[in-house]
Formats: sequence, C-alpha cells, structure tokens
Amino acid sequence: MRANKARLLLFKSIAVKFSEIQIRESLMLRVLVMSLILVGSGCARLDHIQISDIDQSQGSLKAISVKISNTGFNAAETVAIAGALAQSDSTKESLGDLATLLALVNMGPTTGNPVYNDHYAENILMQLHQQCASGKITAIRNVREGLSYGPVSGEVVRIDADCIL
Amino acid sequence: MKKLFVTLTSIIAISFLSGCVSLDSVSLTQLPEDRDHLVTASASDILFLGFTTQNDFVDEAVESLKSKCRGGKLTGILTKHQTTSYVLVFKREVIASGYCNTEEA
Repeated sequence: MRANKARLLLFKSIAVKFSEIQIRESLMLRVLVMSLILVGSGCARLDHIQISDIDQSQGSLKAISVKISNTGFNAAETVAIAGALAQSDSTKESLGDLATLLALVNMGPTTGNPVYNDHYAENILMQLHQQCASGKITAIRNVREGLSYGPVSGEVVRIDADCIL
Repeated sequence: MKKLFVTLTSIIAISFLSGCVSLDSVSLTQLPEDRDHLVTASASDILFLGFTTQNDFVDEAVESLKSKCRGGKLTGILTKHQTTSYVLVFKREVIASGYCNTEEA
C-alpha cells in the first residue's frame, strides 16, 4: 500500500513537471510521453496470499493453476493526471475538483482498483477441477494480486495447487 | 563540518526510524493433534519505490516448505505476508510455517 502511494506521488510529480514545460511541445506530445511512462511502469502488486495444507503422502503431485483477471479503473487518479496535464488554469481547477469528488465517492477500504464485474472470480473452482482428473487437490495457494499501469490495473485472482495423481 | 555531521545523522536517523513493518495478510489452516515437528520457510524480494513486474517470490516459499516435509503431510500452516518499508525501498516477505507429520502417511 505504501509502495502504491509512493508511486502515485511520483506519477503526480512527473505530471506536474510536464505541465510546467512551456508550450513549445504540443499537448499530444506530453500526453504521449505520460502514457509511455504509465505503461512502462507496469507494477505487480501482492495483496493477499494463503497457503492450505500440503499433502505429499498420497502419491506424486502435478502443479495446476487457474488465473482470472478483470480490468480495474481508478477514475479519480485518471482525472487528477488529466488535470495536471491541462493547459489552462480553469481546466486544472475544474478537473482537480472532479478528482476530489470522485475520490470522495469511491472512498473506503478497497483491495486494488474498482472493477465493473463482481462475478469475475466465481468459476475458479470449476476451472481448477477441470485440470485435475483425480479430483484430489492439495497445497492450494490463493493469491490476490494485481498489475497496475497507473490508473488502470489488472485485478487478478490466482489459485495455484497440486493435483494428487 | 558540523552541518555535514547533522545532515548525515539526520539521514541515518530517518532511514532507521522509517523502517517499519506492515502486516498485509495472515491465514491459518486446521491444526493437527501432533505438533512436534514445526517447519518454517520464507521468501522475500526487495523493491525500489515498489516497482516490480512479478510476485514469483511467493512460489519460493511454498517450494521451500514442501522440501522440508518430503512424503509427509503439512498442516496447521500459518502464512504471513508482510512489507517492511525503508526510505524509498520496500521489502516484501512471505513467511510460512506448518507442522510436518510423516507418521500419518
């Protein structure tokens, strides 16, 4: 969480620096450079890990894995970056207010960015069973992680396990 | 000279004082009756400003735990995921411990 905040601060300061560059460069160039910075700074995040009982006594094991992801989007952060890139002071102010409003609306404890589908991780058990014909699954690792590209992120649920053959 | 000393002392003090741990998640599985043989494994990685593209260090902890109980059954697994923050540097760590029981097998 602290690492995310530190990165966010870095992004904002970069955006502010770009907005201060006097307008020899076009807006398109600034947007392009900012986009490249955000995409190039794709960061993995680990939110939660849980390891279940591991039974190595019943035979050989085969590693199986299921990974499901959905796109997360931080609207407030997007608007804040747009505000930092804006040229006129009135636009900067308006976008700043909008960013504050969006941050207030989405305030509260969250894991990663909000997604628009709350059922995306529901079929994970079925997919896990499809990979294990014997049906005997051990060493289940539940991993909640994400890959962030600035305000957009892949919100991932990953289940690694071992199938007892 | 005095200014340099104060600056260096401040930097060292800030570095040490800001190093603190946050516990991100904890989980525990069912505890066995026989709790004689406790095995522990951990894995970590160190990031600058939190930049990384993978979480592979988690698998190292699991493999290490499995290697300490070959042919046995590991139960009562306590998994901790914690992050230690230093100045601009973060250490992510997964610590797992469990009771190895080879007799049941």
